[in-house]
Amino acid sequence: MSGTPAAPLGRRWHEADGTHIDVRGLAPPGPLVAILQLVGEQATGSALIVHHDRDPQLLYPELAQLGWVAERIAGEPGEVRLRLARAP
Amino acid sequence: MKPAGGAFLGGAGSRLLPASIPFRFFGAAISFHLLAWLALLAGAERLPRFTGGLGWPLAALHLVTLGVLAMTAIGASLQLLPVATRQPVRSTRWPVAIWWLYTPGVGAVALGMGAGLPWLLGTGAAAVLSALLGYAALLAINLSGARGMPAVVAHGWLALLSLLVALGTALSLALAYLGVPLLDRNAALALHLLFAAYGFMGLLALGLSTILVPMFALAAAPDERRGLASAGLAGSALIAAALAALGVAPQPLRGLAIALGAVAVLLHLQLMGQALRSGMRRELGRSFTLVRVGWGGLLASLATAAASTAGAPLPDAAPTLFGLVVIGVWLLSFLLGILQRILPFLASMHVGRGSKRPPTPSSLSAEGPLAVHFWCHLAALAGLALACVADSGLLASLAAGVGAVGAAAFGSFFLTLLRRMRDSAAAPPGASRPMA
Repeated sequence: MSGTPAAPLGRRWHEADGTHIDVRGLAPPGPLVAILQLVGEQATGSALIVHHDRDPQLLYPELAQLGWVAERIAGEPGEVRLRLARAP
Repeated sequence: MKPAGGAFLGGAGSRLLPASIPFRFFGAAISFHLLAWLALLAGAERLPRFTGGLGWPLAALHLVTLGVLAMTAIGASLQLLPVATRQPVRSTRWPVAIWWLYTPGVGAVALGMGAGLPWLLGTGAAAVLSALLGYAALLAINLSGARGMPAVVAHGWLALLSLLVALGTALSLALAYLGVPLLDRNAALALHLLFAAYGFMGLLALGLSTILVPMFALAAAPDERRGLASAGLAGSALIAAALAALGVAPQPLRGLAIALGAVAVLLHLQLMGQALRSGMRRELGRSFTLVRVGWGGLLASLATAAASTAGAPLPDAAPTLFGLVVIGVWLLSFLLGILQRILPFLASMHVGRGSKRPPTPSSLSAEGPLAVHFWCHLAALAGLALACVADSGLLASLAAGVGAVGAAAFGSFFLTLLRRMRDSAAAPPGASRPMA
């Protein structure tokens, strides 16, 4: 990856368990781009928490290519919440 | 915690068809691709001045259009549209039934055309028609419940309507071979070419591009209003061209259709160019060189149509060259570029369902065969163009032979991908996956 879109997509904030990003409501492939943008910015390899409105099927091959993995964690009703981390 | 990507998905997971469904369509398309080049080899002598009529050039043409282009479009839209339009997959039996009807139907149509057997052509055409009507029904159900992505949905509806016109005119042409035409042959042929190539395949390709190109380039979704404007202009262009084909003010309406179509295409290409320039991934390799060749072919086809409408002097081979530019350079190059990019991606998605660490798309791909295919594809298209200009059957044979080598290489890429998918799926849980 070599380019960077003009402005970051999605709402971001920090909590004790890592950096959070909410991509709900973005048109495809906005959520994919927003998440991978954030993954690309992680120099320390700290965990990312993704708040999504559906299972991001297209994300997993891209994460695998970058050496990251995703795990489902508990979220609000109707939400798909994922914890992303570098592959061990 | 559960690994992401499959078992837990609930409603979202049901948007993904089982791998066997899209891959059977892609596998059939890749097989028909090789058969198309072999059919062209068999009819190479007639190709340089081919303008229609039963024989192997017509069989090769339909092996590409029905066997490769439409087959891939069905597989890709069945796989991608439920995800894009947030619709559940309502049935897995229907797509399988459509494949079982469509695939032998295409084979029978091609053999009937090549060997000059109208009864076989008619039988195959009936199967193809039934299968495509079934697919049209699935597409309509999906689009009518779509949420979001209005530009993709608008392209989908226009493609669906075009498919119905293409099927109606195909039926008329097939019945003409049996001695019972429904429409004037010339009008039916013009409408069939227009709505099959620019309407059904073209608009589906443009619509799916607005999902796929930003996805591969990792760019934000294209501007919806411009996407809708492009679809509207393309639809208006089709209506104007159809009226011209039916004899309503042919010259001015043909000119209007080309102008509207050109603006629609330029608007679409501007959106795609913006996605490619702003995306996080700039190096898209050979696959996107083929996509760009395809876009060049689309523009070249409109320029050729404009020159013909304006009465510019064109070579004798112009009609055959026009067909080559539309079907070979634009649609086939574009589709093979997208297919070689999306297959490893879908393979990784399917193999990785329920797995914490799916295999990487690049570890499932095979670059060597794709490189062979790339050069053979371009050389074959250039050779065919040269054969048409020089009116040389020998050159057409050589070009078709090179095309067949390229198609076999593409087939080898697909078989390698399937083998690697099988090996990856069979690996014990927790086993390390290749991270190429």
